[in-house]
Amino acid sequence: MKWAPMLAKLRLFGRLALIRPRFTTGYVIVVIVAILAILAPVIAPFSPTEADSLSFLQPPSGVHVFGTDNVGMDIFSRAIYAPRIDLTIAILGTGLSALLGGSFGALVGFYSSGRGIRVWLSFALMRAADVLQAFPIFVFAIALVASLGQSIQTVVLAIAFVNAPIYLRLMRSQVLSIRSMRYVEASQVNGLSDFQTIIRHVVPNAMGPVLAQLSINVGWGIVLTAALSFVGAGVRAPTPEWGSMIAMGFQNVVTGQWWPSMFPGVMLAVTVFGFSLVGSSIEVLADPAKRRHLLSDVRLRDIARATKTAKRSSLGQV
Amino acid sequence: MAETSAAPLIAIMDLHVDFPGANESKEVLKGVSLTVQPGEILGLVGESGAGKTTLARSILGVPPTSGRIAAGKVIFEDRNILDLPEPELRKLRGSRLSIVVPNPRAELNPTMTVGKQIAAMARIHLGVDRAEATRLALAILRDVHIPDPRRRMNAYPHELSGGMAQRVVIAMALICDPAFIISDDATSGLDVTVQAQILSLLGGLAADHGSAMLFITRDIGIAAHFCDRVAVMYSGEIMELASRENLFLRPAHPYTLMLLAAFSHSPKLRDAWSVPETGVRQTQKEGCSYSSRCPIAQPVCSERRPPFVEIRPGHFARCHFPVSHE
Amino acid sequence: MRVLTYLTHRLLFVIPQLLGIILVSFLLVKSVPGDPAVLMLGPTATPAAIASLREALGLDQPLYIQFFIYVKNLLHGDLGTSWQTTRPVLDDLIQRFPATLELVTLSLLVAIGVGVTLGLYAAKRPNGWVARLADLYGLSVGALPDFWFALVLIFVFYTLLGWAPAPLGRLDMIVIPPPSVTGAYTIDTLLAGDLQAFGSALSHLALPVLTLGLLNAGPILKMTQSTMEKMLESDFSRYEVLSGIPQKLVVRHALRNALPSIVTIISVLYGFLIGGAVLVEIVFSWGGAGQYAVQGVLNSDIYPVLGFVLFSAIFSLIVYIVVDLIYVLLDPRISN
Repeated sequence: MKWAPMLAKLRLFGRLALIRPRFTTGYVIVVIVAILAILAPVIAPFSPTEADSLSFLQPPSGVHVFGTDNVGMDIFSRAIYAPRIDLTIAILGTGLSALLGGSFGALVGFYSSGRGIRVWLSFALMRAADVLQAFPIFVFAIALVASLGQSIQTVVLAIAFVNAPIYLRLMRSQVLSIRSMRYVEASQVNGLSDFQTIIRHVVPNAMGPVLAQLSINVGWGIVLTAALSFVGAGVRAPTPEWGSMIAMGFQNVVTGQWWPSMFPGVMLAVTVFGFSLVGSSIEVLADPAKRRHLLSDVRLRDIARATKTAKRSSLGQV
Repeated sequence: MAETSAAPLIAIMDLHVDFPGANESKEVLKGVSLTVQPGEILGLVGESGAGKTTLARSILGVPPTSGRIAAGKVIFEDRNILDLPEPELRKLRGSRLSIVVPNPRAELNPTMTVGKQIAAMARIHLGVDRAEATRLALAILRDVHIPDPRRRMNAYPHELSGGMAQRVVIAMALICDPAFIISDDATSGLDVTVQAQILSLLGGLAADHGSAMLFITRDIGIAAHFCDRVAVMYSGEIMELASRENLFLRPAHPYTLMLLAAFSHSPKLRDAWSVPETGVRQTQKEGCSYSSRCPIAQPVCSERRPPFVEIRPGHFARCHFPVSHE
Repeated sequence: MRVLTYLTHRLLFVIPQLLGIILVSFLLVKSVPGDPAVLMLGPTATPAAIASLREALGLDQPLYIQFFIYVKNLLHGDLGTSWQTTRPVLDDLIQRFPATLELVTLSLLVAIGVGVTLGLYAAKRPNGWVARLADLYGLSVGALPDFWFALVLIFVFYTLLGWAPAPLGRLDMIVIPPPSVTGAYTIDTLLAGDLQAFGSALSHLALPVLTLGLLNAGPILKMTQSTMEKMLESDFSRYEVLSGIPQKLVVRHALRNALPSIVTIISVLYGFLIGGAVLVEIVFSWGGAGQYAVQGVLNSDIYPVLGFVLFSAIFSLIVYIVVDLIYVLLDPRISN
């Protein structure tokens, strides 16, 4: 792989990333959450698992910034410890799904036509992916966790399985579209093996869409982890995790003590939102057509602002 | 720029259209001015990329996608229609000013029968009810010589042949009896025999309805037989404008000569005026935009843009060294 | 006639798909720990009783035979028995599935209303503030966890404002459910003429429907926006503008052409929501099929889970086939 053009691309990427406020917001959110996760032991005023049963369900105050929950644990400390678990699980699970799904998808794409048994295997794999995706996601994830035993590792696996078909299809379509291009045929003629061809041509091109999808999926992974913990099939108490914190404070919301559930809930929502924004920004910046569109949009806005006279244009015409 | 003493039906004045892009604007029409007299057929000849379709659509105020009318006027019935608010302008389009588009099967709505689409024009612009609109649609389909019109009314665009679809589009342009018709490359992609039929149809209908026409084509030979006056367009500018006789008997601009020479029987003439495509279309910043391909170009041609000069009554050319036929 | 051949073609494809789904779910739930016989008989059961129950249930047979027995029973309409409710799963599901269906259908209607309307406006003015709002909406809302959003709504509208009823099921405690015709309370109460119950059902539906509807409008909005933008930029739309057709009609014609894509995403969403409503069902104690399945998994009660997966898969497939039929009827290009 050539490094210089990739570095140049990254630099351009960096500059463009600041064009729209929504992009910057996304990156800022993700960075803040990551920092919280890393620095939690330093920042947290209390231990995330130590319960002080005398001061339960205290509203937010100077001492307990987010208040305490129904067993007396400090919500702020737990809320900033939680991303360690949630982010780790989501990133590992999503990464695993991309690796698994992606490599199988690339192989399927490569062998989807041509020699004998590999064609059949590819076909079978695609149908298996169909079946997998027809499942109600949440039920599937719970069943997986229940069958493999409830632990952090199994939640990671559940996320990996649920998301793998997405990357399978993504890589498959990338490989299929690149295969038909001339320069790939040329490199095959030059004697490169299939594997080398994939690495050299497919991977750089697929990077953009895969990264965008990864970011969005990490967000989903966090939600799935929280959802599983919410029903009691994910991370177990007293490990701080946003979903289980929401579950613990659930009844209290109805009776008016909103802080045990709301704070972790808001942090969860904002974090997932941030990843979603990052994913959408990568999607725009990695696709040359969308990039041009973005630049022309920005340029047109500047033109419109500079020249007050808006003569007839085809934009916004209908 | 007075050409004749009679008032023109429609006057296009100094039209500039550009396409803002990611890096810089691309100017496609660089100050085009034309007038069309009532009842006349003005031809517009140019090669692909000269800006003919951009001009055709911009006259109606709808430049192609991502295009922008930067400056200029279109005066029709004593008003600059480009300044009109959009709903006002829509009332004019299709009823007083209409366009015949090329490649009709791509331009017609695929989920509506052609009969409904033609009738819609009548319902909207003439305000008639459904029954009357259908009657009018049937009548106009007969006028454009579509066989078995009653059955064809219920056909979908993809079920028609190219020639039929072209007739449908002509029908839609004519049903409201417009004063001015723009025919944009209406015969491209059709078989030669069908081309001839469509041409005679257009000419006949225009004469019957008394409409003026801007006839856009890539084929200078067709323009020869069909039009009263002809304008030659290159790279967004009008290079020559003359009556039919003057253009074909006394062509002045080197580009016109190249176009004519391509049809000529004399190889010497063809070689004298044609220049092989360089492949890369160089945008000429200074001077005459044709100078990079012109066989008689002089240094001044790449420095100063030639003015649009009247070299004999009613005959204009944009060239420092127009060819003389004296 | 054409429709019949098309249907038979599709059904032929559906059967192996269905078998695949059943197989995967079977393997999945079989690997969930917990001996059904023990669970059914309780902790006081004797080993002999457990053994004989296992034999009766066929649990001592090898896995593939158990699978065949299960499929055979399926064809007879026997989806197994839930040890928690001690009733046939089919009966349990027939009782609960309409609740889920009612919830999901109404939520889908809300999602369509929000998504299509915003998407249309955003497509008409791509640089206006509605378009920017729509973009933001599509991005943010799809990412929000539904169980948390439901909680926020409960807090605001029940705890703070007192407008919504307590999140404890489909009807107020004191209201008697109507005689069951369709299973959907909104319809059944109207059929029985019981307006008080109708009002109660609606008020209980308000928050969960709002949750699911608002959070899932995103894909519909995006699809409507992008398809309509493409249609409005297309050759035929520009030709209509050139012919002087007024704006409202141009948009309507473009929408006609955009419908196939929009209907596709709606159908996909419909199938997805059956399983995707699970968390909302749990939060609102809805008594729906999804909640039933989750309780099944958490308690090693496998047949409810299998039954639910089957129901939702069949439902999705029916929706897809109906939608495809609608296409054949709608698009004149396909029918030839």
